[in-house]
Amino acid sequence: MSRITLDTVRKEFGSGGDKILAVEDVDLEIRDGEFLVLVGPSGCGKTTTLRCIAGLEDVTSGRISFGDRNVTSLRARERDVAMVFQNYALYPHMDVRRNLGFGLKLSTKLPATEINQQVEDVAEMLGIEELLGQKPKELSGGQQQRVALGRAIIRDPEAFLMDEPLSNLDAKLRSQMRTELQTLQHELDVTTVYVTHDQTEAMAMGDRIAVMNGGTLQQVGTAEEVYRDPVNEFVADFIGSPSINVFDATVDGTRLDGPGDFSYHLSETDPVEGLRTARVGIRPEDIQLVDDGIGLGVNVLEPMGNENFLYATLGEQEVTARIDPTNRPQPGESVSFAFDEAALYLFDPETGASLKTKRDGVVPATPDSIPNREGAQSTTGRGPDAGPDDDQIEGTIE
Amino acid sequence: MATRDSLPGPDPSVRDRLRFARQSVGELIPTPGEGIVGYVFLLPAFVLFGTFLAFPIVYTFYLSFFRFNGVGNETLLWIDTGFFSYKLTSIADLEFVGLANYAAMFSDSLFHQALFNTTFILVVQVPLMVALALLFAVALDASFVRLRGLFRTVLALPVSANLVAYSTVFLLMMQDAGLVNYLLTSVGLPAIPWLTSSFWSRMTIVGAVTWRWTGYNMIILLAGLQNIPQQLYEAAEIDGATRIQKFRYVTVPQLRPVLLFVFVTSTIGTFKLFSEPVIINGGGAPLDSTITIVQYIYQAAFIDFRLGYASALTYVLIAIVSVLSAIQLNVGGESDA
Amino acid sequence: MREETRREAVWQFLTYGFILLGAVTTLVPLYWIFVASTLEESEFLSSTDPRLIPGDSFFGNFGALRARENVQFVGHVGEMTQYIDLGPVYFAYDFWNLWNMGAIESSIFVAGVYTILSLLLCSMAGFAFAKYEFRFKQPIFYAILATLILPIQLLVIPLFLLMSQIGLTNNYWAIILPWLANPLGIFLMRQNMRSIPDALLESARMDGATEFQLYYKIALPTMKSSLAALSIILFLFQWNLFLFPLVILDQGKYTIPVAINQLVGAQRVYYDQIMVAATLSIIPIFILFLFLQKQFVSGILAGSVKE
Repeated sequence: MSRITLDTVRKEFGSGGDKILAVEDVDLEIRDGEFLVLVGPSGCGKTTTLRCIAGLEDVTSGRISFGDRNVTSLRARERDVAMVFQNYALYPHMDVRRNLGFGLKLSTKLPATEINQQVEDVAEMLGIEELLGQKPKELSGGQQQRVALGRAIIRDPEAFLMDEPLSNLDAKLRSQMRTELQTLQHELDVTTVYVTHDQTEAMAMGDRIAVMNGGTLQQVGTAEEVYRDPVNEFVADFIGSPSINVFDATVDGTRLDGPGDFSYHLSETDPVEGLRTARVGIRPEDIQLVDDGIGLGVNVLEPMGNENFLYATLGEQEVTARIDPTNRPQPGESVSFAFDEAALYLFDPETGASLKTKRDGVVPATPDSIPNREGAQSTTGRGPDAGPDDDQIEGTIE
Repeated sequence: MATRDSLPGPDPSVRDRLRFARQSVGELIPTPGEGIVGYVFLLPAFVLFGTFLAFPIVYTFYLSFFRFNGVGNETLLWIDTGFFSYKLTSIADLEFVGLANYAAMFSDSLFHQALFNTTFILVVQVPLMVALALLFAVALDASFVRLRGLFRTVLALPVSANLVAYSTVFLLMMQDAGLVNYLLTSVGLPAIPWLTSSFWSRMTIVGAVTWRWTGYNMIILLAGLQNIPQQLYEAAEIDGATRIQKFRYVTVPQLRPVLLFVFVTSTIGTFKLFSEPVIINGGGAPLDSTITIVQYIYQAAFIDFRLGYASALTYVLIAIVSVLSAIQLNVGGESDA
Repeated sequence: MREETRREAVWQFLTYGFILLGAVTTLVPLYWIFVASTLEESEFLSSTDPRLIPGDSFFGNFGALRARENVQFVGHVGEMTQYIDLGPVYFAYDFWNLWNMGAIESSIFVAGVYTILSLLLCSMAGFAFAKYEFRFKQPIFYAILATLILPIQLLVIPLFLLMSQIGLTNNYWAIILPWLANPLGIFLMRQNMRSIPDALLESARMDGATEFQLYYKIALPTMKSSLAALSIILFLFQWNLFLFPLVILDQGKYTIPVAINQLVGAQRVYYDQIMVAATLSIIPIFILFLFLQKQFVSGILAGSVKE
């Protein structure tokens, strides 16, 4: 296993007037043994990027290296990677045993007994020893998934590549497999690139998350980094559930005037210097209901058990808030809210780049602070759309 | 349970019993509904099927135990109502001979020859054609091939050629002075006695039939190929499979049912061979080496007028085809649900 | 790696070469039929120096073919026996006599009539099997299926006897009727009609449609592409029929296969005329194929049922 480096990787499909730029100049470094999640909305290029790493697609330009080995021109079968597909792609006419052993049979010269032994070991590791004689179509979705996983594990490859492997499972099974996958990955310590469109999954599983949109890499960082310190509005919106509330506000000195009654005085004008309008972002979890704050009209209240989701309007703008379960404003009522300035996000109205992000004293975990990572450097790996450096702002905690 | 005991009117149990009785009677009467309509739609086809397909099947079997002595004259049924009369005569004048027809087959050397010829053609032509069809299908399926539609059209063209008509051109091409020998000699190879040698005349038929049907089977195999999920190939690639290994471990197993189908239908088709050998024979090829089973049955039935014997031959042919098909289905279908 | 792309290039070359070879091999006989029909026999039947490009003797050969007495390949105008105009029916009868049908017309006529009638019959039967319940439905269907594996042509002997009795020898109906209830056609129609949503039929019934209207106005239009594919199968089947027509048809009513057979087995074989006949038989279907490729292909695939 080794680290994977993507160097200005670019992938175009089609030719002439119908060219589609699926992946645009992606620079990414995945550390040895890391679990990196590629996440983004449909069509953002994450699967294509994965397939380029796998060798199933040729890059149009750029370089892919495993460690010091330049693999860009190598075919998939020469790269020593293993892939878990979204719909498992198990060989239908082979039983589980042969499915598992197939890769070894083809790419190594091990004798059948040795292969069989490894098959049994992996099957035991995944709890599927009893299924060895069955064919894929006799298995449930979860079982097929494990076989697909086993097929990858048994090859002991340089990297695991996973393309939305949990999407076809039901919710309960999915969260169960999520934890199993993470445990496995830690045990095996294999570099893993994992693609998903589900940001919750991404946040839960990845050592680091790489957010993509429209073919470009937006930001790479730990879950916390991406959450607290998004590089632009897109990342802020994509990460976090429910999504961050964002609206336009006019800038007047230090005062921000937004929809409805929203009017707020910043303690510093640096972030919005020179701008006439700005995009204001407040995460639902940072909205606190108070007695005399900014007015909201309540639309819907969703009781979630451990908390309540409040859907309200601020003037014409819809706002979501996560509030205490004891708080139950009814539709039609008016409430008011406040928030910490430290939790406020500000974005450039034109570029979307973040001008101010959450600075409430919590130091985001960096790869350094995660045990078991060797020789990692602490960077927050911003993508090309990064905004100006803003780590000088100290939010005042009210 | 709620009852209606408290309601005014006749005793509720009487009411219920009346209703029940009414319903039971109703069920007994067949209503013109779906049941009959189905039959109506089916009727013309069924009548024709029964008369012209079902009856002959049974009658051929029946006939195989008799000797044919001429078209029938015996009146089986006669209706005369004055201004309308109908006379149903037996269709054949028969003499019961038991298993004599079947026994006669054992000493019929021309029949054995026909069996041999047909088997020879089967053994050579079917594997050759299926292999070619498969290779063409795989070739056309390859992603880098342009003009795939054009090539597919060209290779499938023979499908539209009339069986008899196309046989004539092969007859012509394979003449001693024909096109094929010309091409052979112009590159220094010796001319081949396509239509006179017993071996080569069979090969002529093999060639003709292959030309005619490869495109057809290629289309079927191509469709089967395109049904194989791309991801299986990708998984195999990642597992380290070379092109040939992918073919062996993904393509062929996935294609198995289709391949089997093509094999079985081609086998059945070989046993039905009639047009090609007749034309090639008519053009002078030795009868002995090219006569096929169906051709022989034709000769026995309509030239020698030994209808009983021909019927027996027909049933033997049916038996052979059925057994072969069953074997192929068994061998091909196992180890795969 | 250079090695890799070179190997890749070799594969591509081989593949293209193979396909090209196949295409050429396929086209040569077809080209030859056409060329030979335009030349005189001596010109193309030569082991040393045959002409390979088309000549100009087509119409000469065609004329010679037409003139042959015992094998009428192409029809020609006959005597107008009676000219009495007593209304459309009588006139049509006369019109029939105006043109002595040759083999080509016969084949077209027979195949056309067969296709239309069989389509009707098979679709009705398929509709019945697909959408209606009646007793014996399963056994009857299986019986029909069972005949699929039997080579239909082999039941020729009793058919011959039957036709003799009914008096249909040397009659076009003798080769049309027996296979009207085509088992393959019935099977295909049933398979395809099963996909017609029952709800559609139910709502039409509730709107007051008769069962026949259901068939005619709903089932048939929905099945257009299947019908097209099936009609190709049926037409080609009848077009290629040889054994039974050989048995039952006589002079004056030959279909193409029988006529060509006569030409080949004649005392003196005129290959140039035979090639004209072959060209005339094959070219129209080619053109049909080129225009209706999709239907041809779906016809072929429809027949390939996965058991």
